[in-house]
Amino acid sequence: MAEATPSDIVRIDYAVREHRSLWVDAWRQLISSRTARAGLLIISVLILSTVLAHYFWEYNPKTDLDYTLKLKPPTLIPNEEVPSVHIFGTDKLGRDIFRRVVHGGWNTLRVGVIAVTISLFVGGLLGMLAGFFESIEMTRLEKIFLLTFLGGLMGFIPAWIAEQPVQIVLFAILGATTVIFENFLIGKPARTILFGAIGLFIGGGLALFTSPYTAIVTGILGGLIGAALSLQLGGSLYSNVTMRAMDIVLAFPSYLLAIAIVAFLGTGLEKGMIAIGIVGIPIYARLVRSSVLSVTQKEYILAAQSVGEDHGRIIFRHIFPNVLSPLTVQATLGIGSAILTAAALGFLGLGAVPPEPEWGAMLGDSYKYLSSGAWWAVVFPGVMIMLAVLGFNLLGDGLRDALDPKMRV
Amino acid sequence: MVRYVIRRLISIIPTILGVTIVVFMFLRLIPGDPAVAMLGEHATEENVARIREQFGLNRPVFLDREALKQGDLKGFFNTQYLLYLGRLLRGDLGNSIHRRIPVAETLAQRFPATMELAFFSMFIAIIIGVPVGIISAARRNSVLDSTTMVGSLVGVSMPIFWLGIMLIMLFAVTLQWLPAGGRLDSGIELKTITNFHLIDSLITLNFAAFVNALQHIILPTIALATIPMAVIARMTRSSMLDVMQEDYVRTAHAKGVAERSVLYKHALKNAFLPIITIIGLQFGLLLAGAVLTETIFSWPGIGKWVYDSILSRDYPIVQGGTLLIAFIFVLINLLVDISYGYLDPRIHYD
Repeated sequence: MAEATPSDIVRIDYAVREHRSLWVDAWRQLISSRTARAGLLIISVLILSTVLAHYFWEYNPKTDLDYTLKLKPPTLIPNEEVPSVHIFGTDKLGRDIFRRVVHGGWNTLRVGVIAVTISLFVGGLLGMLAGFFESIEMTRLEKIFLLTFLGGLMGFIPAWIAEQPVQIVLFAILGATTVIFENFLIGKPARTILFGAIGLFIGGGLALFTSPYTAIVTGILGGLIGAALSLQLGGSLYSNVTMRAMDIVLAFPSYLLAIAIVAFLGTGLEKGMIAIGIVGIPIYARLVRSSVLSVTQKEYILAAQSVGEDHGRIIFRHIFPNVLSPLTVQATLGIGSAILTAAALGFLGLGAVPPEPEWGAMLGDSYKYLSSGAWWAVVFPGVMIMLAVLGFNLLGDGLRDALDPKMRV
Repeated sequence: MVRYVIRRLISIIPTILGVTIVVFMFLRLIPGDPAVAMLGEHATEENVARIREQFGLNRPVFLDREALKQGDLKGFFNTQYLLYLGRLLRGDLGNSIHRRIPVAETLAQRFPATMELAFFSMFIAIIIGVPVGIISAARRNSVLDSTTMVGSLVGVSMPIFWLGIMLIMLFAVTLQWLPAGGRLDSGIELKTITNFHLIDSLITLNFAAFVNALQHIILPTIALATIPMAVIARMTRSSMLDVMQEDYVRTAHAKGVAERSVLYKHALKNAFLPIITIIGLQFGLLLAGAVLTETIFSWPGIGKWVYDSILSRDYPIVQGGTLLIAFIFVLINLLVDISYGYLDPRIHYD
């Protein structure tokens, strides 16, 4: 029996796989899938063409106007009637649709990406904190923050009634005090009565300067706030309040909510981004919360807690990387639906301010001319919207397969 | 079970209350005065003040702190929102500012139109989407499977307003097979009972009206059903594929149970939970999408009506319409949750 020589060991090495991180692995998986490659191709072509056009192909929508070329069908070879090439035809003001489609992509895609960034950031943060504090006990400092905030929030009502903003600060301080003296008279009704009385004093005492009747009402309110703060409801309270608020936003019909927000902020692309972003917040909050809830049940979180890692580190080092993959998938798919909503707002005339090119607005502009047979003015912007959304959906699908280890063989 | 339903119904109340508060706040934040919008820019100040007085728009929105200062506790609560809430509890949604007729009356006419379209679209989406998903899962990676999956991805990516315009262009303008908009031709007489035209015409045995209503609903249904159909087909496929890897499906195969029986009795029954969830969610999106579909097909439903009212600042209509849509959405989510218990006996409500 021969002994193993070092060269043999080297030869077996091929069985040991090189180290690859989740993301490198996911990338390989991704580019091996045909749908994801198709999605990537569509998105890169769209983004590249529109970004290049934005910086290198000058276009001024304000001066683009030529009534002699009004509503001409696609022309590939210049003739007497149409002296220039218009591969997508022209619209009601004689503007070249191809040019506007390429430039319009800059606006439409930007709305999609920025809107998702807004909902991702706000929703992700709310959901992360909700999920985390639902399953992990808050530290003293975090409780102080939470109750200061809650005290200020609730104090807003008596402060508004009595026209005394200082009450907000006082109720916030009261919130913090309930945590600092968290063991004082704990479990006894005296605790609730004591803090209720302080609340009554803050609310009612100051309001005496406004009017005695006001003082009665704000006093009662203050007493209730003080009593509520004394109960020391921690993370589950935060989670409940956040998720109920998300339910309310979700119960609104999404387009109507977006329309209402745009009506409030005023028409314009930036406002559309904010509106679509706000409408999308609950989706990410719910997704992140449920992912965080399942991650916090894992042993490694318990381990991190028991070696005394602080909460910020646990969130960023251990939880965040583990909820990133569902979030990436949802965000990619979300860009698609944000583009659809953006186009819908544009179609209703609530998006880009004319004559600024934007796919949805171009559709809304031209669909009245359909009966006169100008199909090209409607078909091409619509196809672009569909292609862009399809691209992000294909990529999102591919990402899901690549990032979900369950699916991997 | 009954206790669970009651508890869930009670939990709806804060959500609905929240919706009314947010709607109220938003409408008052939006620049523009309904009285000015109604009377025009050149209205005299007295007239504007009179209209504002008449609709209570001169009252404070949530609480009247000035009245409280005078010791007038009743005046303190005598505000736009609380008065509205009080009327709401009595079933009064107020009057339209522009047209002076009760919101509830118009809602009773327009709401069935939206629901008819939504239900019909969802029905079509389910009876096509679910079987397509099952067949795709059963013949995984076949040509049929990849075709339907690519098709459904395209369907999900479809801007519905654009699809609607294309359908009108093809079937109404070019081919002239189907009407371009509306619910019924003006010459058709129909006795209204439920205001669901398809149901009314069947009850009264008015087949001419039934055919006409059906012709009108086909194009909007295609536009509205495309996305949910595609989503349902995809969810059915992936859920079925998940379940078909389970041991009991393999056992059923090994026992020699017929393929059909394995598919429908063993797999589908267990795969249905996520499908029902997605149907509920899609129904909410369907109601939201109604704004666009109704605009394009001139469908006299609530989506278009509420949208127009936001622009004309007709507060009572926006409040009533939004509240109703939100209520339906929450109710459907509740139904979905309750249906879990029937589909999966392992789920207990306590």
